[in-house]
Amino acid sequence: MNYEVLFLKGAWAFYSLATAAAFVYLYNKDEKWSRWMFRLVAAGLALHLASFGFGMHYFWKIPDNRYYFPINSFFGALSFLSLATVAVFFVIESRHQLGILGAFVLPWAAIGTGSALIFANPAVEGLVPALQNYWINIHPVILMTSYAAFGNAFGVGVALLIQEHQIKSRKPSELCYRLPSIEELDNLNYRIIVWAFPVLTVGIIMGGIWAYSAWGRFWGWDPKETWALITALVYAGYLHMRFVKGLRGKKAVYVSMVGFACVLFTFLGVNFLSPLHGYLSGGG
Amino acid sequence: MERSLAVLGLNHKSAPLEVRERLALLSASELAKRIKAEGTTEAAVLSTCNRFEVYFLTPEGDSRQDDRITAWLEQVSGGPISQHAYRYNGEAAVKHLFEVASGLDSLVVGETEILGQVKEAYEAAHAAGMTGKYFNVLFQRALYVGKKVRSETGVAIGQTSVASVSVQLAQTIFGGLQGATALVVGAGSMAETTARHLISQKIMRLTVVNRTWGKARALAAQFLAEAAPWEELPSALERADIVIASTSSDRPVLTTDMIRQAAKARQGRSLFILDIAMPRNVEESAHGIDHVYVYRLEDLESVVADNMKKRGVELSRAREIVTDKSREFSLWEKSLGSGQEASFKHSNVPTPTKAA
Repeated sequence: MNYEVLFLKGAWAFYSLATAAAFVYLYNKDEKWSRWMFRLVAAGLALHLASFGFGMHYFWKIPDNRYYFPINSFFGALSFLSLATVAVFFVIESRHQLGILGAFVLPWAAIGTGSALIFANPAVEGLVPALQNYWINIHPVILMTSYAAFGNAFGVGVALLIQEHQIKSRKPSELCYRLPSIEELDNLNYRIIVWAFPVLTVGIIMGGIWAYSAWGRFWGWDPKETWALITALVYAGYLHMRFVKGLRGKKAVYVSMVGFACVLFTFLGVNFLSPLHGYLSGGG
Repeated sequence: MERSLAVLGLNHKSAPLEVRERLALLSASELAKRIKAEGTTEAAVLSTCNRFEVYFLTPEGDSRQDDRITAWLEQVSGGPISQHAYRYNGEAAVKHLFEVASGLDSLVVGETEILGQVKEAYEAAHAAGMTGKYFNVLFQRALYVGKKVRSETGVAIGQTSVASVSVQLAQTIFGGLQGATALVVGAGSMAETTARHLISQKIMRLTVVNRTWGKARALAAQFLAEAAPWEELPSALERADIVIASTSSDRPVLTTDMIRQAAKARQGRSLFILDIAMPRNVEESAHGIDHVYVYRLEDLESVVADNMKKRGVELSRAREIVTDKSREFSLWEKSLGSGQEASFKHSNVPTPTKAA
């Protein structure tokens, strides 16, 4: 029996239930559902960690894979990305108690784990020699952590757009009083990005250093590199607008959403274009 | 002898302020001593600025204790209270306590402060050695019901006055209002009430602008705020987060151009404008500017009307919970005598003992 898959299925079930609880909470005002969401997320996170642990155990049965993170497959990468997304959400949630954000962030975790289970192959493969390097524990892990944070910022951004729309409509529904205020959402969006942006930048630079030690050049305009750079530039634009121009609210959120679209494209789309970073699609 | 709960109380509906004030001055420990002397083993006093209530266990169908406490209260408070007081016994008394804890009997329905006051009343009684098993369970249930009503119904969320709806909307934009700056343009009783509501939220700064400098000064003095001359309206607008427009001008005093300038200078910080003047003080097209939210009197009134409608539903849901839980408590009370103590279902407080 593959415990990695089994536990991931469990985590998926809990994330889906937590997402459902988050939506129930969004539409009825019962705090009970918010507490249930938090418990379900915690249970899902525990199962997910167990799944990841088993994943590592299986991965390390191949001596050449020791002691690298099992993120060389699409399955491993998606699983890790969702794990990081939930972990970041868990931290934000326990600090800010904005249960309402669950409805905007948790669907991503459920979709991520679900796609890993449905579309990706969990079979363990040996790392190709090029990836048998400690950098694989650093470069992609750092980048995916920043992606997870950007995913959370996206959820906060969606909540902000809904709240802004509610207030602009002059007919605020009950949802309006349940969502955090525009200013709080704007600040939270900003704080997540201001934290995730340096992580993204460090991740890209680490990739450059790895590229230098592997291929003798820092940068090669590989599509993945190019798109990671575009992502970083978009978020840098967002931070510039906030810091220097003081732009906030709806427009700032639009920019951050373009940034998140770039994240998704860098993570998923580019795999089919990139000769060097195609490992996720079985190339590379 | 069977004993049951009794309550003797006065509140903002039953008694005038001066009667309640006299009772609020009584020392709680003195009171506890007195009640103890009556031979009552379990009792608690809930004393707030809107109510004064004594809860105690008394032999069923016996009103002598009640009369003696009333007489003593009249004596120490120096005035008649009997005609202002209400009395409940048994399940009705339990239900009353649950209603009070739920905020259903409060002046501002659903307010949460009362829950803490009920808790304090219980803790004081506990410290004075005036609680036993019955009161321990009773007050735990009261606090549980109070929380349940607030978390499962919307009794507290729908505000039902233009001023409180304005404050609530401002909170959905800015969150806490502690750092907010408000600007009153003009005068008028609704503007004053709204400003008072904002002040009660501890806003950082309030500025008053009026075409007549003397009026601005007078109103500002009333609020301990600052006054600014009419010419400074544009710059005051730049600094303000919340604007209350209430002049008697028959043409808009806040033009779209003026607001656009202010919004630009505010660099994306939201600007919430309440136009409570008749005829309007704010040009309608200003609402289209990014980060600017103009609410007209009719918008606020329609929110109020909506809340009124919803509150009726929420109140009946809340009463249902209270009735249901007081009935459950009575069942528990009866089961005590039978030797087979019942347990509470769906309870988040520890059950006294497991049901057999």
